[in-house]
Amino acid sequence: MSRAFFYFSFAGVAVVLQTALLPVVLPAPYKPDMILILVVYLGLHEEPWRGGLLAYLLGCCYDGVAGGFPGLNGFLLLGIFLAVRGIVTRVNTESSPLLLLLVAAGTLLQTIQAAFALDFFSHVDGVWTLLFRQLPLQLLLNFLTAFVLLQLIVRIQKIFMPRRDLPGLRKLDSHYES
Amino acid sequence: MWEWWRKYRPFVLGCVLLLSALLWYSVSLRQQEQTGFLESVVLRATGPVQGGFERFIAGSADLWERYLYLIDTAQDNRHLLEENRTLKAELAHNDEIRLENRRLRLLLDFKEAQTFESLPARVIAEDASSWFRTVTIDKGMAQGVAEGMSVVVAEGVVGRVIRSSERYSRVLLITDASSAVASLLQKNRARGVCRGQGEQLVLDFVLRLEQVAVGDRVVTSGMGGVFPKGLVVGTVDSVERRGFGLFQEVTVTAAVDFSHLEEVLVLLRSPQ
Repeated sequence: MSRAFFYFSFAGVAVVLQTALLPVVLPAPYKPDMILILVVYLGLHEEPWRGGLLAYLLGCCYDGVAGGFPGLNGFLLLGIFLAVRGIVTRVNTESSPLLLLLVAAGTLLQTIQAAFALDFFSHVDGVWTLLFRQLPLQLLLNFLTAFVLLQLIVRIQKIFMPRRDLPGLRKLDSHYES
Repeated sequence: MWEWWRKYRPFVLGCVLLLSALLWYSVSLRQQEQTGFLESVVLRATGPVQGGFERFIAGSADLWERYLYLIDTAQDNRHLLEENRTLKAELAHNDEIRLENRRLRLLLDFKEAQTFESLPARVIAEDASSWFRTVTIDKGMAQGVAEGMSVVVAEGVVGRVIRSSERYSRVLLITDASSAVASLLQKNRARGVCRGQGEQLVLDFVLRLEQVAVGDRVVTSGMGGVFPKGLVVGTVDSVERRGFGLFQEVTVTAAVDFSHLEEVLVLLRSPQ
């Protein structure tokens, strides 16, 4: 329950940053997708059913502030969660660079899924060109944001909650410990 | 069989879940024009925080412009920009009226000009995703805003309301890829459909026999039932006629600068 609260609180802060603060400092329409980063993190550290449900719920809530297609973000985030779960037993989840790599791969997968869903189900014309034109910068932004978040959260944890085990982070970033 | 199921169970269940999500998305498209419960809750919850951030940012910017950065110049500039916007809007409106009058005189007919009650609103947030072009405004159902209403500024069309909660609404901009506006060229009345392409618009279905020139003004035709007739959409940016095909490719630059959208007007009565 407390972990779910943590995830939804993080999502709430991310949404406010993405909709109200970051558009002022970043060139329109680019903004990092912090919900995607959260779902990749969920994929690495949550149980399949619980994590899948959380990813889908986060996506459904995300529909309230992103796009005009109900259910689209739920489908996208569930797809990313399942893809991460699919490889999680074959990789070293304690590695920080892995999270960054998965965020980059997740961005690519999200773009393909979105273009597919919007083209074949909603018949949005020219959506492949539009989304893939934005992909390089979006990928870079998501990658940089994941890197900054990782650094920031680990440092905040070390300063304010040194003995508290934030879900997954201590294990994931053990090499930051001195 | 049991062995196969045990081996592939996670994969099969994952596929079933994903297909269910896709199916639900497909089914939800039928109710796309209505605001769902969860969307309404999210809009209500995030609206006040977004509004607070917007006011804080606007206040900080105002403080900087008023007291730290060329006080008189900033004020004059704001005044002139406002005047320029008003004059541009009047000019566009007069052009449209002049052409309309000419046609009406020729047809010996007349049509009563449509007037719409409008509601001013502030833009408080943008879309959370980089793909979609929507904005959140600080007016909702309590002020009479409903899904499908047109949103405009002095320069032209902004978009239409797609989601509405009690105090906040979301507006789909005309530059969004899922947006389509029934339009016509002001000069020769050639019809087409303006589709969003992110930063620009594309005017589809303009017959290749029609004379289209760069700089021609594109206005709403009123045919789609969403936007009233005669609102400025943009100006023609490029025209391409290929050696084949029924239509020509026309790109349009939107009249509205969406990167500096602060206040908008919601037309409270749908043209339908």
